[in-house]
Amino acid sequence: MTRIGFSSALITVLRLMLGAFFIISGYEKLLDLKFFSLVIAEYQILPSLLIPGIALLFSLCELLCGTMLFIDLFSRFSSSVMLCLMVIFIAAMINNVMRGLGHECGCFEFLSRWYGLKEEIGIVPIVRDILFFILLLPIALFGSNRIPWKKEQK
Amino acid sequence: MSKISLQKKLFATLIIVLSSISPSLSQFHAAESVAFAKEESGELNLSATKALFDTHSACFVDARSEYVYYKSHIKGAISLSDSRFDEQFPDFRQKKAIETLMVVYCAEPSCGKARSVAKKLMKNGYKNVKVFSGGLIEWAQAGFPMEG
Repeated sequence: MTRIGFSSALITVLRLMLGAFFIISGYEKLLDLKFFSLVIAEYQILPSLLIPGIALLFSLCELLCGTMLFIDLFSRFSSSVMLCLMVIFIAAMINNVMRGLGHECGCFEFLSRWYGLKEEIGIVPIVRDILFFILLLPIALFGSNRIPWKKEQK
Repeated sequence: MSKISLQKKLFATLIIVLSSISPSLSQFHAAESVAFAKEESGELNLSATKALFDTHSACFVDARSEYVYYKSHIKGAISLSDSRFDEQFPDFRQKKAIETLMVVYCAEPSCGKARSVAKKLMKNGYKNVKVFSGGLIEWAQAGFPMEG
């Protein structure tokens, strides 16, 4: 596969940046899983029984994929998983905006805690998640799937 | 002659005094009538709400979203959000008797969730429903008990 226009340095920067972001986001969701479950419930898409499991799954995915991106372990695979998550988040937000529901997005709670940024669903978080999708694409397409501590065979 | 001028002076003084008092009197009466009208329509002010809270004679109902309730709410309040009323109500109905006095609140006076939940409660048979119009912001600013 030719790496058209995407230097390994750019992929590394994207990997580290997005990896760190998802680690923080997943970790804080796991710390307060009840809060994240209640935010998911507010989307009114999933049945109540599934919500705690989905909250745990999403948080673990973010934390594990973020860590894998950060240490460059199966980066293509982990960025592909994160791409799927982004599509789910974007679709859920668009669904709620179209239904006229207004509530917190539950995406990056630390942004509101650290910087006071309100995370209400709407055009801003949707555009932000689309941006994340675009930034994840080069890693999924041109990143490596290697195990960093194993020597590459010639 | 002097008697007439004295009467004129007294009359003028009376007019001045009345005109200076009347605006404040009318404001006082207006505020009182607004408070009375609010109470009549089931809306409570901060002091009336606090009195009910202190005597434990009402059930406090938080009409905001559950995740906001989870972060902070009036001490002892129960969550019954406007957005997920249908999901939460069956459980609420089992816990609270129909004759219980309910005080519903949301975030602030402009937020309509409390009135909406109060209406839904009344539709479902709860007759004794009041709205604390000041909401959690007024309650918190007064330094009254909160938890979450």
